[in-house]
This record gives sequence, C-alpha cells and structure tokens, in this order.
Amino acid sequence: MKRLLALLFVAALAVLLLFLVTKMPSLGDPDNPARQGMATQYLERSPEDTGAQDAVTAVNVNYRGYDTMGKVGIIYCALMGVLAVLGREKRGRIQARLDGARVAPSKIVEVMVRFVIPFIILFSAYVIIHAEISPGGGFQGGAIIGASMIIFTTIFGLQEASRRMPQGLRVPLEGSAIMTFFVLGVLGIAGGGTFLTYAWPRVSTSIQPALANWLSVIVEMAIGIGVGFALISILFAMMREEEDLEPVA
Amino acid sequence: MNLSHNYLYAAAMLLFCIGLYNVIVRRNIVKKLIGLNIMETSVFFFYISLGYTRNGVAPVAGAGADPTRMVNPVPQVLVLTGIIVAVGVTALALSMVILLHRKYGTLDTDQIMRMARQEETQAAREEGN
Amino acid sequence: MEPALNTILIVLLVTTAILATLSRDLLAGVIIFSVYGLIMSLMWLRLQAPDLALAEAAMGAGVTTVFFLVTVFKTRGRDQS
Repeated sequence: MKRLLALLFVAALAVLLLFLVTKMPSLGDPDNPARQGMATQYLERSPEDTGAQDAVTAVNVNYRGYDTMGKVGIIYCALMGVLAVLGREKRGRIQARLDGARVAPSKIVEVMVRFVIPFIILFSAYVIIHAEISPGGGFQGGAIIGASMIIFTTIFGLQEASRRMPQGLRVPLEGSAIMTFFVLGVLGIAGGGTFLTYAWPRVSTSIQPALANWLSVIVEMAIGIGVGFALISILFAMMREEEDLEPVA
Repeated sequence: MNLSHNYLYAAAMLLFCIGLYNVIVRRNIVKKLIGLNIMETSVFFFYISLGYTRNGVAPVAGAGADPTRMVNPVPQVLVLTGIIVAVGVTALALSMVILLHRKYGTLDTDQIMRMARQEETQAAREEGN
Repeated sequence: MEPALNTILIVLLVTTAILATLSRDLLAGVIIFSVYGLIMSLMWLRLQAPDLALAEAAMGAGVTTVFFLVTVFKTRGRDQS
C-alpha cells in the first residue's frame, strides 16, 4: 500500500517536471539565457586577467575564490562530523578486525601495489599543478591522493596504513587547506588589496602576474593536500574497530 | 515535441524521480543513501546541461580555441562544489549508519524505529516510577 | 551521431540507477552504483566538462563507493534482521 502511494506520488511529480521541461528554453541554443551574462566575460578575459587558460580553474580560484574557501570548509566540516560520530583513535595505536579490509596476502599484488602507488601520487601532483593549464585542479588531485591511500589500506591492512600515515602527520595537514586560504587572504590585505586577492598593488608591477600565478598554484596545492588527507582520515575513522572507541571531547 | 529536443532535461528529471522513489520506499538505510546520491547527481546533470551549447567545446583556452564556442564555465564550478558536498554528506551519513548498526544491530529503518520507540517508552516508564 | 551517443548513455544511466537499489544483495547494489558513477563521468565528458569528469570519476565512482563498501562490510556479520 505504501509502495503504491509512493509510486503514485513520484509518478505525479514526474509528470509535473516533464511538463515543466517542455516549457524550458531550448537545449543547446547559443542564445540561451543561461549562456548570456558573465559567462562570455569570464571566457574572454580569463587568460589575461588571471593568467589561467582553464576557465573553470580561473573562475574557481580567482573570480569566485570565496566559494572555494567554503568548499574546503565543507570537507573539513564533514571530517569533523565523522570524527564526532566515530571518534579518533588514541595516538600510536589502531586496531582493525574488519574481515574484508585486508585481502589475503599475495606477493604479486603486494609488489605491484608498492610499485604503482608512487606513480599514482605523481599523477595526482600533475593534476594539481596543471590546474590552470589543462582540466584538473586541487579537488581532483586531492581525491586521487585519497584513492591511492585507499588502495594501500585495502591491500596492506589498516595497521600498516596507519603506521605510514600517523596521526601526527594527518592532523596538521587536514586543516592546512583552509588555513592556507585564510593566510593568503590576510596577506592579500597586507599587500594592499581586498581579502583573498591575487593582485597586490603594493608590489612592483613587473612581478605582479608571476606573483598571482604563484599564489594560485600554492592555493591549489593546499587544496589538494587538505582534501586528500581529510578523505584519508575519514576512511581510517570509518574502518577502525569499536574497541578503541572514545568520542572526541 | 519539445520534450525530445530537451531530452537531457527530461533524463535529469527521470533520474531525480527514480532516486526519490528509492529514498521513500526502501527500508534499508544504505539503499536510501544510494537513492539520495542518485538524486544529487541528477540535479548536477540538469545544471550542467543548462549551460551546454550545441557543438560547444570545453572552456580551456588551448591553442586557438574560440571563446564564443565554449560552454558556460560557471555551472561547472558550482557543480564541483556540489560533488564535494555530496561526498561530505555521504561520508557523514555512512558514519552515522555504522553507529546505528552498532547500537541496534540492524539496518532496517522500521525495526530501528520500533526499537527506539520501545526504548523511549521504557525510559519514560522508569522516569515516572 | 551526437544525440545517439547521448541517448545510449542516458539509457545506461537510468538502467544502472534502477538496478542499484533493486537487488537484494547490498554489495551488488553498491557495485552497480559505482558503475552509475562511471557512466555519469562519461556523460560529463559528453557535456564538455572535463574538470567535472575527473572529479566525478575520482570522488563519485571512487571515494564514495569505497565508503559504501566499508559500511556494508562493517554492518554485515552481526546483522540480525
């Protein structure tokens, strides 16, 4: 009975939404109202305003930099929520009795994983640093760093993985992204502009474009490291066993 | 008919309704969360196909790319935020699912609500005594 | 060519979305959800959004699926329902 009611409700909603779709402006039309406005300005002026060729990264880091600061804050808040629910382990020891967490040891798999993980990290560094030149960016690279650690944890087990990534390493680096944003924002004020600007009027004009470029690269690297280590910490918190459970005060 | 011309929008609406049906009907919490993720990705799909132009190119200014033919980059930035929010919400919800399973031993929402109500009435009865 | 490939991808999307919650086995559903993430990543490429394709492939089909798998494994052995 409940399924029938739910099906009727969802079907009615679907009919309403599809009716509204027929009233929408045509898909793919260059005169779409969604295509006008700031989009043409961003696309035409981003190489000379920001020095970035990828318009998405230019909009992400430069034109809408506050949004990106909030994005990193979102990941950090998700991490804090997971730690509030599941708790962090005491320093120095972590246990895991998760049966599916460790694949049965096979020498071939272990050797191949040890061989491939440095290349995955190198690739993630490539994606982060090439944020402005090609499709890529901090968030994508950070997710790839997290994924490389996930592979390592699956093959070698949670104890070995937490020995490689101890708490003393992860805790400062999780918050590094949003701290870097804040520090760069304040430095922007010190440089004579507004909060989180990459154009500092007080510096000599010859090094201003290079300085803006460098600041964007630093921001992207900080985002990548912060997102990667936040995802690793979330994974460790979700995988560990309950004997160590102590809620974070 | 305009529906076959705006087929991407229609697909996004259809996926949204599939996700919503799963969130309402399924009793397993993990299946509800899968339905929630399908709803989120369908909204991103709708949003990106708003900024799409026919025969458009990606908004990367390579060697001699034409800025008038590129698709709109602003929805892509906003949907990137959305993907990250989806990952954060899923991680937090799954950690709560793990905690719920530790306490109640099941993932079935009907049983969990029944057990929680029994605990409440028992606690209220002990308070009254 | 262009609407045909988009239509094939949309049919695959709807199919995997329906199948992801239809199966009794939770593990199969999570793996099908990972396939859904992969096909959504291909759809982003068709909509000329390469940054989103990278992000969806890494985070949607990668990290989210692993979180789901960890939850399924942790809630499996002691299930009394």
